[in-house]
Amino acid sequence: MIPSQMLKGTLEGCILKVISVKETYGYEISQELQGYGFSNISEGTIYPLLLRMEKNGYIQAQYRDSLVGPKRKYFSITPIGEQELDNFVGSWKLLERAVNRLFTGGGKEE
Amino acid sequence: MNKQTKILNRQNNELDKKLVPENQTIMTDMVCYLRVANISDYDQELVRHDLLEIVLSAQERGEEISAVIGDDYKQFCDEIIASLPEKSKKSKWLDFVDTILLCLSVLGLIHLVLSKDSFQVFKHLITGKKDNFMISFTIGDIISYVIILAASFAIVHYIGKTSFKSVAQNTGRVKRFIVGGAIGVGIMGGFILINALGRQTMFQVHVIALCIVTLCMYAGHKILQNYVQAK
Repeated sequence: MIPSQMLKGTLEGCILKVISVKETYGYEISQELQGYGFSNISEGTIYPLLLRMEKNGYIQAQYRDSLVGPKRKYFSITPIGEQELDNFVGSWKLLERAVNRLFTGGGKEE
Repeated sequence: MNKQTKILNRQNNELDKKLVPENQTIMTDMVCYLRVANISDYDQELVRHDLLEIVLSAQERGEEISAVIGDDYKQFCDEIIASLPEKSKKSKWLDFVDTILLCLSVLGLIHLVLSKDSFQVFKHLITGKKDNFMISFTIGDIISYVIILAASFAIVHYIGKTSFKSVAQNTGRVKRFIVGGAIGVGIMGGFILINALGRQTMFQVHVIALCIVTLCMYAGHKILQNYVQAK
């Protein structure tokens, strides 16, 4: 299980990535993430993050009918969200490289 | 609550009925907590709708509510509240004025119906006898109304903020009995004392003027509710 503290800064970017592929909803996002190994991600974990990303304009929501009764909220990425996703990927690559160099003995950067 | 919020509220109330009892209890606790949060009524209803969709879908899949939103409902609600835009100062003030206007119009109506002068005044109005049409407000009445208003705000806030604590969790049975009894006796004693000491008339209002003021306050509340309140 990935510790929640470690997930904190990266989960938002990962959710954005899932939404960037196709328009989707909370439960489907959590299932998708679980499929990639984020075992402890429930719909409740990502719901507040979705609200925050919507408030920041990274994603937009549209209500559609669902089988259980209440309308379901479908999310799609916005141009600002795409830019944010690019920033996240850039930052993640820097972090990944730094951590890998530290742990695999790749040596300090020149 | 504006029109759009009211429609959503009605839809949510209907959806609420589809919840199984254990999920309904948890949903009620969460909604109570969200009600006193610094977020707009519209956002409260939107979140309620989303949560109902999440919980009802889980119910349909045969999953427990804790499997989808975890066991710490308070923390979950705090995260939601932190993710939503805060109410503006203007919106908070309008909410406050709206509640005060509604409370005062209800208290005005109660005074109009229950005041000891009312019976005489209405008798005079019906018989057409030109006599005293004034309704008195004593010091005791005014103090009582101020206490009722303050207590209403305090009770709503208390219920919202402690919605996740079960009664048993808060205090023991004996302690609850003593505290509850003391509060009850205190309130009763307070009102008896106010009534006894505050019999002196503070001011008098003509019954028609009181009716108009009460109606105006109710109309003011309705206007704020429908048109001014921020979404």
